Order: sequence, then C-alpha cells, then structure tokens
Amino acid sequence: MDHKNSKKPTYSRFSQQELPAWKPILTPGWAIASFITIGTLFIPIGLLALSASDNVVEISDRYDEVCVPDDYSSKAESYIQNPDVKKTCIRTIKVPKKLVAPIFVYYQLENFYQNHRRYVKSRSNKQLRDPKAEDDTHDCFPKSKTKDGKPIVPCGLIAWSLFNDTYKLSTRGKEISINKKGIAWKSDRKAKFGSNVYPKNFQKEGLIGGATLDEQIPLSEQEDLIVWMRTAALPKFRKLYGKIETDIEAHDSIKVEIENNYNTYKFGGRKKLVLSTTTWIGGKNDFVGMAYIGVGGICLFMGINFILLYVFRPRRLGDPSYLSWNRHPIA
Amino acid sequence: MLPNSSQVRGWIMTSNRPSLPTPGSTGSDLSSSTSSNNSDNNQIPNLHSLQNSSSQLSIKSNSWRASVNFGSKGVSVADSEGFSISRREINDDDARLVYVNDPLKTNETFEFCGNSIRTGKYSVFTFLPRNLFEQFHRVAYMYFLIIAILNQLPQLAVFGRGASILPLASVLFVTAVKDAYEDWRRHKADKIENNRLSSVLVNDRFQHKRSKDIQVGEIVKVSADETIPCDIVVLSTSDPTGVAYVQTINLDGESNLKTRYAKQETLSKVPEKDVISGLIKCEKPNRNIYGFQANMEVDGKRVSLGPSNIILRGCVIKNTDWVVGVVVYAGRETKAMLNNSGAPSKRSRLETHMNREIILLSFFLVTLCIIVSACAGFWLKRHQDELDIMPFYRRKDYSKEQVENYNYYGLGMEIFFSFLMSVIVFQIMIPISLYISMELVRVGQAYFMIRDDKMFDAASNTKFQCRALNINEDLGQIKYVFSDKTGTLTENKMEFQFASISGVDYSGEKIEFYGEQGAYNIQVDGQVWRPKMKVQVDSKLLKLSKTRNDTKSSKEIYDFFLALAACNTIVPIVVNTSNPNEKLIDYQGESPDEQALVYAAAAYGFMLIERTSGHIVIDIQGERQRFNVLGMHEFDSDRKRMSVILGYPDSTVKVFVKGADTTMFKVIDESLNLSVVKSTENHLHSYSSIGLRTLVVGMRALSIAEFDTWQTSYEIASTALMGRAGLLRKVAINIENNLSLLGASAIEDRLQKGVPEAIESLRKAGIKVWVLTGDKQETAISIGYSSKLLTSKMMQIIINNNSKMSCKKSLEDALITSRKLINVTRASEDDESSVALIIDGTSLVYILDSELEEQLFELASKCAVVLCCRVAPLQKAGIVALIKNRTDDMTLAIGDGANDVSMIQMADVGVGISGQEGRQAVMASDFAMGQFRFLVPLMLVHGHWNYQRMAYMILYNFYRNALFVFILFWYVLYTGFTLTTSITEWSSVLYSVIYTAIPTIVVGILDKDLSRKSLMTYPQLYGSGQRKESYNAKLFWVTMVDTLWQSVVVFFIPLLAFWESDIDSSSLGDLWTLAVVFIVNIHLAMDVIRWTWISHASIWGSIIATCICVIVIDAIPALPGYWAIFNLASSGLFWICLLGILIASMIPRFIVKMFMQHCKPCDRQIAREAEKFQNAMEITRNGEIEMNLPHR
Repeated sequence: MDHKNSKKPTYSRFSQQELPAWKPILTPGWAIASFITIGTLFIPIGLLALSASDNVVEISDRYDEVCVPDDYSSKAESYIQNPDVKKTCIRTIKVPKKLVAPIFVYYQLENFYQNHRRYVKSRSNKQLRDPKAEDDTHDCFPKSKTKDGKPIVPCGLIAWSLFNDTYKLSTRGKEISINKKGIAWKSDRKAKFGSNVYPKNFQKEGLIGGATLDEQIPLSEQEDLIVWMRTAALPKFRKLYGKIETDIEAHDSIKVEIENNYNTYKFGGRKKLVLSTTTWIGGKNDFVGMAYIGVGGICLFMGINFILLYVFRPRRLGDPSYLSWNRHPIA
Repeated sequence: MLPNSSQVRGWIMTSNRPSLPTPGSTGSDLSSSTSSNNSDNNQIPNLHSLQNSSSQLSIKSNSWRASVNFGSKGVSVADSEGFSISRREINDDDARLVYVNDPLKTNETFEFCGNSIRTGKYSVFTFLPRNLFEQFHRVAYMYFLIIAILNQLPQLAVFGRGASILPLASVLFVTAVKDAYEDWRRHKADKIENNRLSSVLVNDRFQHKRSKDIQVGEIVKVSADETIPCDIVVLSTSDPTGVAYVQTINLDGESNLKTRYAKQETLSKVPEKDVISGLIKCEKPNRNIYGFQANMEVDGKRVSLGPSNIILRGCVIKNTDWVVGVVVYAGRETKAMLNNSGAPSKRSRLETHMNREIILLSFFLVTLCIIVSACAGFWLKRHQDELDIMPFYRRKDYSKEQVENYNYYGLGMEIFFSFLMSVIVFQIMIPISLYISMELVRVGQAYFMIRDDKMFDAASNTKFQCRALNINEDLGQIKYVFSDKTGTLTENKMEFQFASISGVDYSGEKIEFYGEQGAYNIQVDGQVWRPKMKVQVDSKLLKLSKTRNDTKSSKEIYDFFLALAACNTIVPIVVNTSNPNEKLIDYQGESPDEQALVYAAAAYGFMLIERTSGHIVIDIQGERQRFNVLGMHEFDSDRKRMSVILGYPDSTVKVFVKGADTTMFKVIDESLNLSVVKSTENHLHSYSSIGLRTLVVGMRALSIAEFDTWQTSYEIASTALMGRAGLLRKVAINIENNLSLLGASAIEDRLQKGVPEAIESLRKAGIKVWVLTGDKQETAISIGYSSKLLTSKMMQIIINNNSKMSCKKSLEDALITSRKLINVTRASEDDESSVALIIDGTSLVYILDSELEEQLFELASKCAVVLCCRVAPLQKAGIVALIKNRTDDMTLAIGDGANDVSMIQMADVGVGISGQEGRQAVMASDFAMGQFRFLVPLMLVHGHWNYQRMAYMILYNFYRNALFVFILFWYVLYTGFTLTTSITEWSSVLYSVIYTAIPTIVVGILDKDLSRKSLMTYPQLYGSGQRKESYNAKLFWVTMVDTLWQSVVVFFIPLLAFWESDIDSSSLGDLWTLAVVFIVNIHLAMDVIRWTWISHASIWGSIIATCICVIVIDAIPALPGYWAIFNLASSGLFWICLLGILIASMIPRFIVKMFMQHCKPCDRQIAREAEKFQNAMEITRNGEIEMNLPHR
C-alpha cells in the first residue's frame, strides 16, 4: 500500500491511551497505614486544640432583659423607644481567671438575622467608597433617600440599624480603657470605606434604627460602622467592640456601665457583652478539639479492625481464583 | 407478489445470498419498502407485508442495484422495465414537468430551485437568531434560560445579572463557536461546488456556466472524469449505442462502474444541430437514489424513463467521452442533496437510566424547595407582628408620606416567591451541565476509538468511524451480536477455487502465480497486458486448457472457460502502470463472483479484453477472437440464471447459461450424459459443504432455425410497449433449455482474519453470537464450523419447514430436546456441549409475527448459537426485534450490505463493515469499521472503558451538584429561610463551570479501569457492563447517602467551629467554597485509577484555579466579601477546619471501599490487582487467546 495515502492513524501514546500513568492501588497496607497515620495525627491535634480552647478565658453577660427597669418589665419595647427614660444600666462581672491582654470586648446579638436576604442587600458598596457615588442608593430601599430626595450616606438597612449600646468598664474603681481603634479590618478601612466620604442625612428623620454618626469623621474612620457592616454569617454573632490592652487579674470584679439603647426587644433578640482572650484557634471552642479526637479515634479503631481482618481473613491480591467465573464455572 | 423487474446484476450464485435490495427493480414492493427504511424506521409494517407475500425466494434474490445492461442493438432491457413502471401512471399533480432545452418555459409554471446548493445552515445575518433558536430546542438550554429569566424578575433576583446569565452564556457561546466553525467549513465547500464550471447549451452552443446558474430544463454536457453537476436524464452519449459508464463512489461509495443509457429516440441527436425539444414528466424530488420514474414525450412519441436513464449529481463519468443530458432536478432537490442527512439518533441505555435518576433528583429539588418555602411561610407568620420595623426586615416604608409595605406582597405570594427563588438557588441539583459534559466526553471517546490503530484496517485502508455520537457506552453492555455472514465474517473477496468440468473434479494442487513471469499475460502492440488480480490455478487444468486438440475433454474445457469469460456483465478496463510497457486489465462489474470467474478464466488463458454492447473480444491462449453478443438475458430472481447468445466468428451461434444449481439442473438435459450430471452434483455438494459458493454452467448450440425464432421473439419482446420484462423472461425461458452441462465452479469467500478468535472472545465475554445469512444451509453450517461458532460437541437442532404446522411441531420437539440436554449438561457440569439452533428463512416466515415467536424465543435463548440461513433482509430485522422486544438485553447488529440495513437500524447498536459491498450498511450504522475482528477491541476494550467512564461520570456529577445544593440548603436554614447564600454568587456560578468541570470530563475521557491487555485476555471482564455493575439504582442511592454525609460534614464543622464568633458571612462562605471544591476533587482523585499527567494537571489544577478565583473575587473592593479570604487564611481555625473536613467527609467512603475491596472484590478489582502485581503469568496460564495484544 502506498504509504502516503494510508489513513492509518499516526501513532502516539496519547491517541492509543498509553500515556505513562501512576496506578495506585489501595492495598491493605496502605489502608492500615493511612488509618493509623490519620489517627495518630488527629488525636494530638485535637488535644492541642482542646487545651488551647481551655486556656481561653471568656466571660459573657447577657444584659438585655436585666437592664429593663422593673416598671417596664412587661413592656420592654416602650422602655427602649422612650427617649426620656435613662438607659444606663450597671452590671458587675466576676473574673474567674486572669485575663491576659489583649482582651477582646465583643457584643453578641442573638436571633438577629444579619444574613437575611432583605438586609444583606440593602447597602451600596459604591457609595461607601466614592463620594461621587452618593446617589447610588437604588439597592438601599427603604433607607435610600430622605423625604426631600437627598441621598442618605451611608444608605441602607445595615447602616441604619447600626448597633448603639456602649460599655464603660472599670475595676477597683479605675476605668479600664477600651481601645476602639483598629477593630475593623485594615482592608475595609483602606479600600472599602472612603476616607473622603462623610455621613450625610444619616438617621435624620423617620424611624431611628440605631447609632448616629459624626458627620465630621470620614467613613473610613467610623470603625464601629465598618465592623457592623461586615455582616455576620449566622443569626447568633459577635462583633468586636474594642480591645483592652491591660491584663485583668483573676477574681476581680468588673463594673460595666451599659448604655442600653439598641432595640432587640421587638423581635426577641438577645444582647450579651463578652470579654475574651484569644489563642491560635481563636476564641473558646471545644468542638474542634473534640471532633479531631473523634475522627482520630475512629481512624485508629478502623485501622486496628482492618489489621485483624487481614490477619484472620487474608486475601492474596490479584489472585485469579477470586474471579467470578473461576468461582462459579459457567454451566 | 413478484417483483416485475428482470433487471439485476449478472449472475446469481448458488449460495444465493440475499443480494442487495437496490434499484433495478423499481416497480417491486421490496425496493420501495426497503428504500423507505433508509428514511424512516418503520420496518415492522413492511415486515408484515413481506412475510405474507408468497414468494420468499424472489424477495431474497431480488436485487436492488443499479443495472449493468448490455442489451444488443442499443435496445436496453431497461426500456422494458421503465415501461412496466409507466403503467403506474404518474399523476399530474405529483409530477414535475420539464421542457427539454427550454428552461424558461420549464421554470415559468413551477418554481424549481436553482442549482446552487447551500449545505451551510447560517449566513452572517441569520447566524445569531437561527443558532440561538436551534440551541434552545434542547431541553437543557431551556432550563438554563427559564432559570435565568426568573432571576431577572426583581422579586426573585437571587443572583446579579452577570452571574445569573454566565452559565447559559458560556454554554451558548461554546456551542455557537463550534457551530460557526462547522458552518464555515460547509460554506467553503459550497462555494467551491457552486462555482465549478459546466458546459451548458445556450443558443445552440455549449458554453461554460457556473454550476450554481444551471436551471432545470437546460441541456448540459459532461465530459469524461467530470462530476455531474445536477441530476440529468441522459439524452445521448459518445457511444453510438447510448451507453455511459458512471462511478457512483460519491453517492453510495461503490467504486465499480455502472451503466446508464440514452433513449434510442434521442441518442442520435446532436444538440448543436438538431432541435431537441420534448417534455419530461417525472416524479417529484425524492431521496431514493435507486429509483426514478418518468416519461418523456419526444417527437410525438412517448417513451418511459427509469433509473438507468438518469445520472445523479455527484457521479463521475468514466470511459465515456461525453454525455449530454437534460437537467431534471437541481440544487437541493437533487437526490444526493436530499440524502444528506445524518444517521438516525439513538439514545444510550445508560442515558435512559440516567434520565430516570434525574427525575428523582428533580423530586429532591422540589422537596427542598417546598421545605424552604414552607419554613419561610411559618417564619413570616410567626413574626407577622414584628416585620414592620424589624431591623433586618423593615416591611413598612416610612420615608414617604404614606406608610406602605415595601417589597412585600402578602404571605401567599412571599411563599410562592421563596419557592421560585429556591429553585433558582438550588438549580444545579439537576445536573444540566452533565448533558454538555457527556457530549464532550463522547467526542473524546470517539476520538480514541477512531485513532485506535488496533482498529485500523490496512487492507482496505479504512479507519474506524464513529457515526453516532451518543451511544458509545452502549458498546460496553451488549448481550447479543447479530452478524451477517458474507462480507462480515468473510472477506467478500471471491476467489476461484475449484472447477468441475464434465464430471471431472479439478481441485488438485495449486500453483500461485506471483512475479512477472508466471502470470498469464498477452502482448498487445508490444505491450504486456495482464489481469490485475492473480489467481491460483490448478496445474493439471492449466496444462489441459493450454493444449488445444479436438479431444472431447479439451473442447469441454474450452467451452467452460469461454462461458466464464463471456457469460457475464464484466467490463474490462485497461489501467496504466508505472511501467509504460505494461498494462493491467481491471475487471469492473457489480458482482464480485463474476469478477472472480473472469479473472479465473483469464488465468487459464481466456482473457476478456474488450466488451461493447455488440461484441466482446477474448484473447484465447494468445489468439484474439471476436464474438458477437447477439443477445443477453439478464439475471432475474425467478430464473436465477443468466444467459448470453454468442455469435462465433465462424457464424455458429451458441447460448451459454450460468446460474444456481437448483434452477440449472432443471434446464439441463440429463439424458445427454447422466453420469456427468451425477458426478457434478456430487462435486457441488462437496464444494458447498466446505463453504464454497457454487455455480453451474451449461451451453447449447443453436440451429439457424432456432436462432431465427429466438431473434424474432427477442426483437418483439425488446421493443414491446407493454409488459416488456415478462416477454423477455419468456423468451429467455424458451431458449434456456435442453442445455448440455459444461461444469461447475466453486468460489471461496474466505473467512476474514481473526474471525474464529474474535467469536471465541465474544462468547467468553458472555455475548451470544447469532449469524444471519442469506446463504444456503450447508454453506452457513460450514462457515459456522470454520469460524468456531459451531463445535463438533454441539448438538444441532435444525428447523427447516414449509408450513406453519410443521414449524410448530419442530419447535415443540426442539424445545423438549433442548430442555433435556440442558438438564443433562447441568448435571454433568460440562460446559462444552451445548445446543445450536439452525433455522432457515422459510420457516421463519411462518414463525415470525405469529404466536410461534414466543416459542422460538424460548428455544433460541436456550441455545448457545443460532444460525439463520436464507433469511431476507427484513427477516433479519425481525429476528433482532424478537430479542429486543422480549428482553432487556442490549443487541448489536453487524453487517456490510444493503440487506443488513434494516437489521442495523433495528438493533440497539448498528455496526457497518466498510468493505466490498458499498456503503449502505455504513450509512445506516452507528459505527463502521473494516473488519469483523475489530468488534473485540471495540466492545471488550473501548465499550468497556466507555461504559465505566460514562457510568462513573454520571454518578459523580450527581454527587458533585447535589453536594453543593445540600450545603446551600443547610445554610438557608440559618438565614430565616430567605435563600441568602454565603458563598458568593460568582463562586456558585463558577462551581460547575470552572471549579469542578474539567476533572470530571478528563476522567470521563481518559481514565482506564483496566489495561487493554487484561480486557483482551479476560473477555469475561466484559460482564461487568452487562450486569450494569457501574451504574444502577443501588449505586445511585449509596452515592446520595454519601453526598448527604459529606454535605453535613462540610457545612457543620465550620458552623460549629465558628459558632458564637465574630465570623462574617463572606469568610464563612469562602471556607465552605474551598472545602466543597477540595472535597469533590479529592473524592474524584480517590477514584481515579490511572494518573496520567493530564489527570494530575486537571485535578490539582482545578483546586489551584479555585483558590485563584476565590482570591480574585475577594480582591474586588466592590463586592461585600472584600479581602475575606486573606483574613480567614491568617487564622489557625480555618486550616484546622479544612483538614478536618477533608478527612471526616472521606472516612465512611474510604471504609466502605476498603471493606468491599477486601471481602467482596469484583472482577475488575482482582484484574487490576493482578495487573499491578504482575501476576500476568497466572492469567495467561488459564489458557486464552493471544489476539491483538498491544505490541508495547
């Protein structure tokens, strides 16, 4: 045959599906080894995580209910909505263990759906960054414009509902200073919130949702707002309030002066003040450690089981006598 | 009913294979019914009509092919045939009127289309709308579209505009680019085709005109080796008798020459001088390339036209200087264009099963949506009073004077909206992208099948062809193979083997002539002419044929070979070779049997060197002799013989007849020499019992009186206006009698290489091989033995009956015997002896489509082998349907001829052998290849791989999409059922486009569970596909449970780890995104069996690409998640979570996998281990075939 006219496919290892390949097989050895390895790796990690979590000192104090004066106990809403009632509330917290600086001060909200679809969407990222885009408020409904049509900066439900409780901490009669600088992400301050964008027409009319903002301070420095606007993932969440840069000794009692302004009574939301130290795995959390120990334990257990299985019921790999047609000859 | 045509290819062989239903017999039912099979799939009704018809044999031998016809004196038999058609008058309403040489008038009344063709679908302007329109015909795209549209409604806007349109847009774009490229190539081809120049008669002069400007009614002239620009009716040719030779390779792939005729009434006209005018009334354009009926009024005479008078677009004129014809169909109305449609589309079984599971998945989807919307309803109801000023809901808008509800439409509507929104969010639960992935994977698999050098046939230089792109994986699940015999199991390269001349058997020693000196050749003008094919000759016979004396035996040998050389329709064509002094004679003809006989005659010194319609020239032992061909009676299916009346140079006249033994012995005068007849019969029997095709040759000298009588009646018959075919047949029967027996020939149709081994492999693989052939029973059985289909240990049940009652009885008997035998076998555990059923077509007439079918099925399913002989084409389909309708098993039909078309279309998978017999089988098939033995690599290797790959891919895609949806669903439960996703919308969209799309396609194309070698040495491994081991309902549910577990792990580990923390939604979303992408890719990685660099690149590449995408998305300040991933990655908890998720999600799977592998290893597992640990020695010890092992 003429070689040129031949339509024979040109040979290549690819087209013949003969590319060199690594063909791993999960042999019993490999399986046992991986079970044991995972087991021996996971249990120590779990223990480490547990001990780290154990070292975290966390104090939390729920104050939303106790801060309602007794005469308003059945009508918390009218209490919080009444501007004439004094909202200050004093709480005392015992410190069980020494709190080593930095101590993080959080407020915790529960049953507050910061991830609600209507809420999450009600903001304008453009407006926060760019002074020229202050009219970009079409997503911010129902808090986009004032009645006379001026844009609200920052617009939207999220900003409108900015948390406005404040805390003053003191121990042994001395005030503990809370550093509120640097509580927001640096990236947010730098790029997300403009240093030349100033609040305008904010909380000026209609229903007041929460905190007001100083119109002299650009958004990039309104760290409470920045923190608040990084919406939480879950309906029970904490937000950083500030940092305490001095240690607090064990058995001290902390006097907290709370300005209880924020209305969570309407929808049964709870408020907590949390003081916590932190380690490499973050705050107090035993789950991760337990999970690791659990997984590691199962792996070790399975590893041992498989060892027993291979000892008592061995099977030679690739033994043709196990092939189905060798086991039951075809009639 | 009897086909009323007489016009078929040359001879019929005794073996009498159902020859190709094709055109000659225009009027017959069969040709119309079978040809319609090409276009529509309703063979079944046709089958009925066939089986009720009385003459089974006539159907079988009825040939469909274009005719080769050498009628004397230019009166072609085709005329008679055409006439018989004209009795079925063409209705004026159904006719198209063509005024010859008057395109204006022709085109004035009817708007016939011009000759420009457009195979391209689109133009620049229509591309966008038309392509989109066509794309949206697919359900998958409609789903995307509806979801995207829903998302545009402001109340439902889950995703942003861009993100919601991206999946649809990317799919549309990819498909559009593919379509545009294909169309551009078509346009290019069209342009070349349309601008080709042809010579057209304008104002009595032939002028060059572009092909696209040709109009119906114009007269065109086509010269030798030119392609016909449109369908033309031949008016005259350079041959004085009006013959034209055409090659139809572009049309049907058949390379031999066919003849077409000009009508006597027009052939003498010269277009430039004579005024040609007339009216052709022909049928409307249709796609039957083998049928044409029309009549022509010329000079006040009405003549009928048949398929032998039309030359179709795409044919090439050969051996004829020019042809003049009138255009009847142009452009897209030509038969070639009308036939331009693809193979019928089939749907693979895996896909059918997959669709079942997809319905389940849509139930899951609806369930999830109902849960979400119901919960959302409850939530709203419970918070009814608080919604107005709830900071994260704020139903009331106080900014206006009038306090009104903001974006709230009442509880009912809110529930409805959240249902629709959840459909949008959970849309990928239904893996629509899977359909697109499957298409891509099949293209990849097809590439590998086509490129496989083990399936390349060097002999015919043909590659494997994948014509259907959607049933690749069916090849891995076949349970029944139905095979044709001739050309499929055998080569269909006929070789003359033995001759019995006057009762003497010449089947002694063979010398093969190779090289320059040995072969027979002749000298012409100082040049050496030799036949193109070399034939083995019998030395004794060769010697005898060379000695010329007046002994009786020498004379008989002379007559015998003269008959072989003369009594046929072969056209010798002289071909130049590289050596200027040497020429080859190529014998062109329709029947390979005839070719073999003429080559054989040439090898013994009777070389046919010239044939015209009036005479032939034969070089007999170096001496040229010219014989007048006074008449020829074509082969027809009743007589099953053909004859030629030769006028010798010494003006004696003899009639030579050759044909099938059954009909020949009836017309042989046995009294002349009884012993010769007896011994010839014996020889015939022994020839056919070793699988040879036999023919009997006879001769009679005609007295002058006899000749005159014959000639008169022949003339009358040939020019008769009514019933010409019948008259001619009568004339033939009158002359073909009282013959003296010259002898018989035996032609071998050799078994293809590797057939016995292939059949053995298929049988080991648990595939039942049935052979359906038109051959005689003896031939079929002998081929059965030589192909190892039958073994001597097998018990044969032969059913061979002529009435329904006897059929019933023998079926019942056979059932009883087979039951007994199978019981015995079961007891003795001897797997060798089994039952073979041999049944013939006549019996099948009574069995198929009657209540006996059930019994036949029961019997056949008990038999290891079934051989059906003498079956008609539609019976083949009937047998396939017998199995297909009663079992769930997959069927594959393989064949090479037009008679296999119906069977190929009926079976789940149709395979065509692209061999000697034209391309009709290939055109109807899903896959086409050169050799039967390629079935083994095709099914056992590629079929197995395709099935495993596709099955795994489908399950994996279900898992991949469901996992993501479950994770979204869990999160929705923590958002007040408001369908917020913490995973960014871009990640949601890119998940199935970038993050996880490529590895599954790569694995679907490239992963191999076992090597080719193991699959070939262990055909039994094929059983995994037959048993649906890799895709079934159980596996689906197991996968879904695993999916649920993995989703719980992925979702809840981060959730609990970050419980009561200050994590923001975007960060947690990023963690989930990364975790889910890691998991699905690792999950895939755990199942990959062969890690080539491509699999490494795609899997690890996807993970890296995901990380890059997440980083890029988080680097856009305009998005809420700005910089989240960087903050997240700096915390230890993130890494701990990721590692924990990976391990915890895989553990159950890993444990189950290990446990199953150890305790219940499947065959594939063992074979894989054996492969890895080189236990190949043990495998080969079990004694199996060494076939097509990869050579490296």
